[in-house]
Amino acid sequence: MEAAVASDPQISIRDSVVRLIRGDITELDVDAFVFYAQSDLALGSGFGGMITVRGGASVQKELDEMAPVADLEAVVSEAGKLAAEFIIHAVGPKFREDDIEAKLLTTMENCLSRAEEKGIKKLAFPAMGAGYYGIPAPISATVMLTALESHLRGETGIEEVTICVFDRPQFTAFKAAIAALS
Amino acid sequence: MKATQEKSEKAQKLIDRMGEKLNRQMAGSLLACVHCGMCTDSCHYVLANPGDPTYAPAYKADRIRKIFKRHFDWTGRVLPKWVGAATVNTDEDLEELKDIVFGKCTNCRRCTINCPMGVDYATFNRMARGLLVSVGVMPEGVAVVSKDQWETGNQMGVLKEDYLDTLDWMEEELQEELEDPTLKIPVDVPDCDVVYSINPREVKYDPRSIADAAKIFHAAGESWTMPSEGWDMTNFGLFSGDDDLGGSVAGRLFESVEELRGKKLVISECGHGYRSTRCEGPNWAKSDVPFEMESSVNTMLRYIKEGRIKVDKTRNPEPVTFHDSCNNARSCGLFEEPRELLNLVCMDFREMYPNRAENYCCTGGGGAMSMSEYTPQRLKSGITKANQLKETAADFVVTSCHNCVDGLADVIRHYEVGMKVTQLVNLVANALVIEKKVAVPVETPVAPEVVEEVPVPVGVGAEGEELPLAGRRILVADDEPDQLDFISAVLEDNGAEIIRATTGDEVLELARKEKPDVLTLDLHMPGRDVGEVFDLIRKDPELGDLKICIITGKPELRRLIYERSVRPPEGYVDKPVDEKRLLVNVKKVLEVVHQDA
Repeated sequence: MEAAVASDPQISIRDSVVRLIRGDITELDVDAFVFYAQSDLALGSGFGGMITVRGGASVQKELDEMAPVADLEAVVSEAGKLAAEFIIHAVGPKFREDDIEAKLLTTMENCLSRAEEKGIKKLAFPAMGAGYYGIPAPISATVMLTALESHLRGETGIEEVTICVFDRPQFTAFKAAIAALS
Repeated sequence: MKATQEKSEKAQKLIDRMGEKLNRQMAGSLLACVHCGMCTDSCHYVLANPGDPTYAPAYKADRIRKIFKRHFDWTGRVLPKWVGAATVNTDEDLEELKDIVFGKCTNCRRCTINCPMGVDYATFNRMARGLLVSVGVMPEGVAVVSKDQWETGNQMGVLKEDYLDTLDWMEEELQEELEDPTLKIPVDVPDCDVVYSINPREVKYDPRSIADAAKIFHAAGESWTMPSEGWDMTNFGLFSGDDDLGGSVAGRLFESVEELRGKKLVISECGHGYRSTRCEGPNWAKSDVPFEMESSVNTMLRYIKEGRIKVDKTRNPEPVTFHDSCNNARSCGLFEEPRELLNLVCMDFREMYPNRAENYCCTGGGGAMSMSEYTPQRLKSGITKANQLKETAADFVVTSCHNCVDGLADVIRHYEVGMKVTQLVNLVANALVIEKKVAVPVETPVAPEVVEEVPVPVGVGAEGEELPLAGRRILVADDEPDQLDFISAVLEDNGAEIIRATTGDEVLELARKEKPDVLTLDLHMPGRDVGEVFDLIRKDPELGDLKICIITGKPELRRLIYERSVRPPEGYVDKPVDEKRLLVNVKKVLEVVHQDA
């Protein structure tokens, strides 16, 4: 698990905190983290493989009952043996689709709605759509922080949002977006 | 006049993206082809399919060239039919292009060096792959591996805890083998002279190569370490054409060396890993690399030349030949060092022909081993390689590339060449002369001699030593009687109690009834589909935690088992089964502790 350190970039939005770390999102001790899913909800490789191996087969079994899920929607499963209690599976835009910012914004809003419904206080996001799904990290960062700012300025039970990224280019992009918001 | 066909979103994005990716080198290659046909005979796909012109490099290149001409060259915009310009309109057009750029070329670059015009087809074939990947069109295996490397940091989805466990385990094996408890596989030690990076295949399928390298570093008295993060030197971005993935992966590796303040990055034997890290990585990662990088082939050769290690070539008496990896040799010029090393550690090294820059691809290049949908055409294209191997009459083919190990093993099996594949690290470690530390005898009081007949218990060897698998119950499942006997005998000789199964249903029944410690499982079990038995066991609440070592003759089936939504197997062994490798893997599987255990 990645422990928060004082030097992590972070920003307060009303009563909530958004912080940025580098690490493995599947190991975070949070109430829920977001998994960038496909509409058939197959966990597959990458983070999905890590969820299967560390969390157990029960996660995919639960997802099989919920699939398929419409584009931009988000659904919640339990997290098996992982430290988190829930996983929010978000079917975001992929691979240079048209209107990617607007679609990503809707996906973020749906994730945050699901989190509120479950009473999540500590929530973690990956760099949504960046990396394998090809959304440039600066676009992902700008859209995510726009969505978070808008949501956290309203009534919310979410106290802490962790954005957990895995490489230096992503970290740099999100750090810049946080600095711009500050 | 025919109305212009509306483009699919993906087709339009691909064309837009092409404009962003074109550079002088690519445009030069796209324009320079005169269709002379010199490339044709240089391609192993053409040699295996002489009646099929669609395999000719110039033909394949034209599938990409026509798009370039239609959209980026004025001749194609003005006179499209005269210059063969055409576009892609539909998602089906993209699928067709995918089957050419991923399925009919391994990016081996043999046609490139045989082109009098200097057309580098492999470079723009890679670009075309990248364009397709950017719009989400790629073979399933490429998607799986790319996602793994993006998100887990290595292309086989090896978890950090499994990587570190494997290093610990190899350290213990070496300490035992060399009777030296001080021997270490150091992790995250700062300020070392060497940071050693590996291919995740070594963790998953060939941990002995890690131990062999550690043995060599230890014998050389090297100040070395392995990183706990950013340890994968392979880079699927080279195969998928995704420069962003290339930059992310290379960047993570460079970062780990910088954080450890390492003086030199040594890259284990892997052709595409070496090329991606040393030759392409700094550009992809947009990084000024402040340390040296070298292949472990150079490192081992240097140790011998500097007298830091001693080798005895009589320990490798069998005839060996050498297969030049396309990426090491044609793309990075690593020709003579492996040969020099082979002559120092082997009694009978013989060349295969052609060799060096003119060598033929193993068939596994360009990520082909991960694209199982193209396996039949890949294996058909291996006939040239099989003939090359046969003509050497060697017992072993040596290569400095993990892709080539799998590609060659597949060709050898398919064409019944009767040869084994190995790497230089294995041969050097085998030839290594190490003076074992002599334990100082401690005088102990002599007990009165009692002569008594003691029965030898199960699990104790002839010399009275405890056997490594003593007390373990292993279910061996294979439908081939020879394999079943061989695997059972190896495990039994090492102290295990064996239960045998020859059909899929028998495996399931015996697994429930006998509750073995480990199951060695052939993926092809009569009565069940390929991989079905594995899947059923994993989904069975009673058997879900049974440790499984998969044994199969088809490396491409790895995809089938690792893509399932169930926990992957704890071990994996290729056929033909090697006694040492089987034992090492089964011992490893037995040591795996699941989180819920």
